[in-house]
Amino acid sequence: MNHEEVSRLLGAYLDGELDLTTCMAVEEHVAGCERCQREMEAEHELIGIVRDETPRFEASPFLKTRIRAALRAESPPVHSFWRRFGWIAGGVAAAALLILTVYFEWNPGIPGLVRDAVADHVRSLQVSHLMDVASTDQHTVKPWFAGKLDYSPTVVDLAPSGYPLVGGRLDVLDNRNVAALIYQRRKHYINLFIWPSGGEALPGRAYVMNGYHVLGWTKSGMNYLAVSELNEQEFTDFTKMIQDKTD
Amino acid sequence: MIEQHHDGRGDLNQPEFEQVFLPHLDAAYNLARWLLRNDQDAEDAVQDAYLRAYKAFSRFRGGDGKAWLMTILRNVCYTMIKKSRSHETPEHFDEEIHQAAGQTDVREAFRQKANAETLQGALEKLPDEFREIIVLHDLEGLAYKQIAAAIGIPIGTVMSRLARARGRLRAEIVASNVKESSP
Repeated sequence: MNHEEVSRLLGAYLDGELDLTTCMAVEEHVAGCERCQREMEAEHELIGIVRDETPRFEASPFLKTRIRAALRAESPPVHSFWRRFGWIAGGVAAAALLILTVYFEWNPGIPGLVRDAVADHVRSLQVSHLMDVASTDQHTVKPWFAGKLDYSPTVVDLAPSGYPLVGGRLDVLDNRNVAALIYQRRKHYINLFIWPSGGEALPGRAYVMNGYHVLGWTKSGMNYLAVSELNEQEFTDFTKMIQDKTD
Repeated sequence: MIEQHHDGRGDLNQPEFEQVFLPHLDAAYNLARWLLRNDQDAEDAVQDAYLRAYKAFSRFRGGDGKAWLMTILRNVCYTMIKKSRSHETPEHFDEEIHQAAGQTDVREAFRQKANAETLQGALEKLPDEFREIIVLHDLEGLAYKQIAAAIGIPIGTVMSRLARARGRLRAEIVASNVKESSP
């Protein structure tokens, strides 16, 4: 085997992709060729560095939820699996709903509105309904609400501060349709609900419920309610920035 | 052996599908993210690929689910790339330059700085087909045979393309070091 041939095969040799005969031919040549030894060493180094140092992107946990929900939507309504186990699953779901309801109802001292907002937040993360409009652009999200709501929420972008806007959603709170803006902080999400106060201002109180932070306030005739599982400090920073930037 | 993943009626079976394909979600996302270079597009592409795979699940005869998913995913990604780049001039690269840079005298320059940031920048500069093959092999650990199946090329082409991709990557790393150390 000549030098050119061996040089061409070095990568495959190091990847363990050559058959035994070719392997031995490569080794035989390399043993007596300094240039090939250097090349082999350099190639080995490169492969190791690429494998160990190159950043690998991980899927967000919500992508899996999104995909499973999309698959469900594609499935035939009566499925062989559900035909067999549907009643069990139905029972489990009903029991879970009951437990969830009891869980949320048994929190004395927390206003119903706050409980509903937390439930909306939890649901938005679980049922793959985080966003109706996925966009990091406030000029896309804001017009999306036009025609769906009888008011126009102020949409601010906090991407430069590390809380990028990731989308918007229509949700229900206090028996009316409200705008929900979704912000992201690392792998956590913040739901910011916005609706006209109609004379009923929210007291600027903070709540912690089941590990979720909730803060409501009213500004310029609009009610704001933020919910997230973020830590308290970052959650407070976020709400302060929103308060400063809305008018 | 026919349709071993199915209950014989040929209808869609979500639990089985998820069992076979969801373990490859991170690998799929990583490839899509490297090809499309942004989170949102990568997520959309991966979701689209899973839906397509699901609809075509009855044609999946067992075997290598990862390679099969990657085949679908890269088709989705390249369609998106084509759409977004249709008005741009295609990236040109000079085979001669990276051949020269692959030689031994650049090894020291290469060693000076081959950290994550440099690597990411260098990998991003590669043409799609080179970036793709490095991600599939060196990051995701697919064997040549799996890559051949996923891309639809002979194994010999996998070998030569990967070798060229690595040579080009080395050249990009060296170039970024040279650029940085010059005043």
